[in-house]
Amino acid sequence: MKFAARLVLSLACLIAAIVALGPIFWAISTSFKPTNRIFAVPPEIIPLSPTFAHYSRLIAEGVQWAFLNSANYAVLAVLLSLLFGTVAGYALTRYPVAGKPAILLIFVGAMAVPGFSVLLPTQLLASELGLYNTYLVLPLLYAGHILPFAVWVTRAHFASIPRELEQAAEIDGYSRAEAVWKIVLPGAKPALLASATFGFLHCWNDYVTGTTMVDQPELRTLPVALIFFQGFHGRDWGALMAGVAIATIPPVVVFLLFRKYLIGGFADGSVKG
Amino acid sequence: MSVSSSGVRLHPERALTSAARQAKLVGSALVGPALILVIAINILPAFYGFYLSLHKVFFFANEGYVGLANYAALFSDPFAWQAIGRSLLFTFCSLAIAVPLALLAAMGIRRLGRWGSLLLTVLLVPWAMSPIVVALLWKWILVPSPGGLVGALFAAFGRPPQDLLTDPMLAMPTLIAVGVWRNFAFATIILIGGLGQIPKDLYKAAAVDGLGALESFYKITLPLLAPSLLIVISMLTISYFNEVQLIIGLTGGGPIRQTNTLAYLLYNTGFVELDQGRGNAIAIVMFMINMALIAIYIRILGKQPGAAA
Repeated sequence: MKFAARLVLSLACLIAAIVALGPIFWAISTSFKPTNRIFAVPPEIIPLSPTFAHYSRLIAEGVQWAFLNSANYAVLAVLLSLLFGTVAGYALTRYPVAGKPAILLIFVGAMAVPGFSVLLPTQLLASELGLYNTYLVLPLLYAGHILPFAVWVTRAHFASIPRELEQAAEIDGYSRAEAVWKIVLPGAKPALLASATFGFLHCWNDYVTGTTMVDQPELRTLPVALIFFQGFHGRDWGALMAGVAIATIPPVVVFLLFRKYLIGGFADGSVKG
Repeated sequence: MSVSSSGVRLHPERALTSAARQAKLVGSALVGPALILVIAINILPAFYGFYLSLHKVFFFANEGYVGLANYAALFSDPFAWQAIGRSLLFTFCSLAIAVPLALLAAMGIRRLGRWGSLLLTVLLVPWAMSPIVVALLWKWILVPSPGGLVGALFAAFGRPPQDLLTDPMLAMPTLIAVGVWRNFAFATIILIGGLGQIPKDLYKAAAVDGLGALESFYKITLPLLAPSLLIVISMLTISYFNEVQLIIGLTGGGPIRQTNTLAYLLYNTGFVELDQGRGNAIAIVMFMINMALIAIYIRILGKQPGAAA
């Protein structure tokens, strides 16, 4: 009986893993097939004569610049949100702040407001302010999207670190800023990595903000460039799946490297407080 | 005498209040930049959107105040009502599949130990992907040809390949399946946390009392998991209700408006047709529905220990 239950569980896990990863594997496999083999019947699970042609095709189209834009926007936004978020998170646990309950409510509320429901007025506002079609509009908006999470997670972490730790350092002759920099921040590494990972995934994976805030080809993000490529070249599945592969590798690698902190951050920030 | 004694008493108090005031100033200054950025980007546009929704705005040009005409036009449009219905259908069907699936996965993963955390990682990979990239990927998986993955599956059962995305009956279920595939595992994270907080002794006591596995699930697991379940349900509700990228990438609202949700209607009206006055009216309606959902979300989060710290 126990063995049978174990078997059923293992089988279910195997099926779940295949359903989760199979489609991604299939896309990557397609991206390495020569165009005339992509529709082969029966389908080739593993390409028999692999080629990099689809990847060079994307490079010929300049997709690497969109890749670079996506990376720059995401890194800028993450740095901005970590800087402002950590400072705010620290102040909210260590200082009296005017209107603290209202401020916390704004951060929680903003965390839950999906960017899409305010995207249209944001586009018009950006166009009025001359931010539309600039290099900074996306990093700024992304930073605003991920900041509430950064504040929430770092605040929860600072609240769990005893104030005495800093006071001891201050007695030893450190200034408050030094104590924070040398004692508190290193201890907050899990919270910082959690919000950085979450932030990177949000920025890298966005499509709607990217496609509505800039329309100059040089400013495009990777997902926007891929959809444009699809628009021009239709069902060139080999090249499109090569695009899917390069758009998927960075967030999945970042997720795999920092999953421990990300998962912990969600558990801390939402369930355990 | 009395003057000097009160002076002695007042002095440290005054020093204290000025120190407290200074601390409050420093604290507010430190929170300021984050607060300003969040308000400017997440909240201010909602007010501007409301202002614009009372104007006729076409192609970035404001053609003047029209009162509630945009709303009147919106609510007298049967397609808008249909879109609200499609949104609710998409949201609640997705929830009805994702939440039990996430719970099942969470219970299985907890039983598996080290292999469980590997499985959780595997299941979360689609969640780490961009929704629009997921849409591109599934468009290829679903391509109606015997050379496609789903086409090959149909062929294995002796059926001709079928285009699930252009079939009016099947497009919505397919969209729901892809949406659940992408993000149900995210709910699993929170449910695993919730399951971990249920004391194991309760199950032992239940076993002693002769409760079966199913009974202890209904009488112990579900009631004690309620807070986590509520968090998961509210987060997924907001996420599904606002899903637009999958729809842009997979169906474009079609076939015959079957997947034309409110989010997609907003995208199409405001960003494609550039009827920005009416688009903003839709955005305000969506924002209101979101706020209602978020009010529930905050109430639930607010009840968590530590949330008030």
